[in-house]
This record gives sequence, structure tokens and C-alpha cells, in this order.
Amino acid sequence: MDFKSAVFYFLATVLVLASLRVITARNPVHAALFLVLAFFSAGGIWMLLQAEFLAIVLVMVYVGAVMVLFLFVVMMLDINLERLRQGFWSYLPLGATIGLLMTLEMALVLAGRYYGLEAMPDPGASGAGVNNTKELGRLLFTDYVYPFELASVILLVAIVAAVALTKRPRKESKAQNAAAQIAVRRNDRLRIVSMPSEKE
Amino acid sequence: MLENYFPVLVFIIVGIVFGCMPMVLGWLLAPHRPNAEKGSAYECGFEAFEEARLKFDVRYYLIAIIFILFDLEIAFLFPWAAIFKEIVGTPGVKLFGFVEMLVFLGILLIGYVYAWAKGALDWE
Repeated sequence: MDFKSAVFYFLATVLVLASLRVITARNPVHAALFLVLAFFSAGGIWMLLQAEFLAIVLVMVYVGAVMVLFLFVVMMLDINLERLRQGFWSYLPLGATIGLLMTLEMALVLAGRYYGLEAMPDPGASGAGVNNTKELGRLLFTDYVYPFELASVILLVAIVAAVALTKRPRKESKAQNAAAQIAVRRNDRLRIVSMPSEKE
Repeated sequence: MLENYFPVLVFIIVGIVFGCMPMVLGWLLAPHRPNAEKGSAYECGFEAFEEARLKFDVRYYLIAIIFILFDLEIAFLFPWAAIFKEIVGTPGVKLFGFVEMLVFLGILLIGYVYAWAKGALDWE
């Protein structure tokens, strides 16, 4: 077994164990941290497949940003762990059946045709001068310009949706709105009532 | 290509060993004789009366998701920067390689202006 295979088997073992811990860890924060480890190992495996740009983007985007969001969500939910585990066994048969069916369907569709050894030939050792990022850029910015521009539209939709869904004015906020203060009219603040003058 | 990344692997291994070795040594060498009195809260400490987990403000989530989206935008910029000279040097697509990125950034600029105008970037 050469050095590359040894590294692959080490990374694959860590990946499988970490993924198992993601779904078995009792504490959701621990599960999220094991997911970070799984992403790192997957990044290493992609690096072994000579997909250097993808590996670095995986670490940068998923470990750096998505996992931060995951941890925020896990912490924001204020999960009551005892209540979460209630009804685990009663829901298990239904959940397991659905999961098994989905796995079976995906396996039937994808196995052999897409994931077989014939479909994924060894890319072969590329020389030290080959730049994976350049190869990717060459395709992305010439042949696949339209999908590339579409990606920006999808990102725009995501930005607008995130802002629209989560941004709501806080009631307890004491910040001054200068524009509203300047634009105020006399009638908003003062009501002049005409009434007969009183005499002693 | 992979041999270029061998130093990175060495760095990762050295980093892990360097980080874990003091903890392992401390665990191996330090005396470890706990008892109920030693492990209990003392002096100013008191027994925990509620969970440490508490609700985060949803605004952290908004900041994080905006960070992710612009992080993805940056991820598209790297291959473009790597290939830029080559694209601009090609006769047929001289300006095209530049304009396509301007369009990409322009569309995302709308999102940025929207987030800014909606006050998503302000804390208060």
C-alpha cells in the first residue's frame, strides 16, 4: 500500500466515524462539530482526487461559514434535550422506513451507472504545473457563462429571502430614526382645539 | 500536482501533534485523584440552576447568512482571477471575460444594496 492509499484510508475512516457521530451524538453542538470534522476529511479526500479548488472551497465555505450558521441555529433553538428524545422510539419505525426507501431509490438510480468504477476513471496523475483552479475557471467563464450568471441570480434571491424573512424591526429598540424626526409635521405632535375662552 | 500539497499535509500533522501533545502529556503525567469535595463548586461558585443554553438573537443568523452568500461570491472570484490574463488575452473574448464578472457582481450588488437599505447591516 503506497502512501497515497494510506492517507486515503485514514481520511475515509475519519470521515465515516465522524459522520456516524454526527447522527449518534446526543448533544447537537457536538454533532455540529463532528460535521466540521467530516467536512475536513471530505476536503482531504477531494484533494487526493486532485480537485484542489473544490477542496479549499469546501473548507472555506462549509467549515468557515455554513457550520457557523449551523451552530447559531443549534444554539438559537434553545433545544430542550430531554423533550427532544421523547417519542424517539415511536417515530423510529416510520422514519426508518422512509429513510430506507429514499436510500434504496437513490442507490437504484445512481449506482453502477454513475458511481461505478467505469464511470469514474482515475483522472491520472497530473503534473506539478497543472492548475486545477485555472482549468475550472477556463470552463466556467467560457462555456458555462450562462449558468455562472444564473448562480448570481440564485445568490441574489437568497440574500433577499434571508433579509425579508429574518429582518423585523425590534420593538424594544431605542435607536433614533433621524429622518422620521426631521420629517415630523406639526399636526403629528400638536392638536389645537378651538374652545370658548373661560371666564372667572 | 499532489506532491505540491505534501507540505500542507506535514503542516496539518505537525499542528495536530503540537496541539494534542501537551494535553496528552498532561493527562498522562498529572496526578488525577478526584473526590466529591474537590469536584464540587467552592468559594464564589454555586450549583447551576438553569441550562447554559440560551436563545440567540435572530440577528446573528442574518449576519451569518449574509456572510455565507458573499463568501460564495468570493469563491467565484478566485478562478476568475486565476484565469483573467488568459481570458483577456484571447482575441474573440477580450472584454467578455471582464464584462461577465461585472454582470455577476452587478446582480449581487442589487442584493447588497437591498440588504443595506433594509437595515440588515445595522445592529440597532
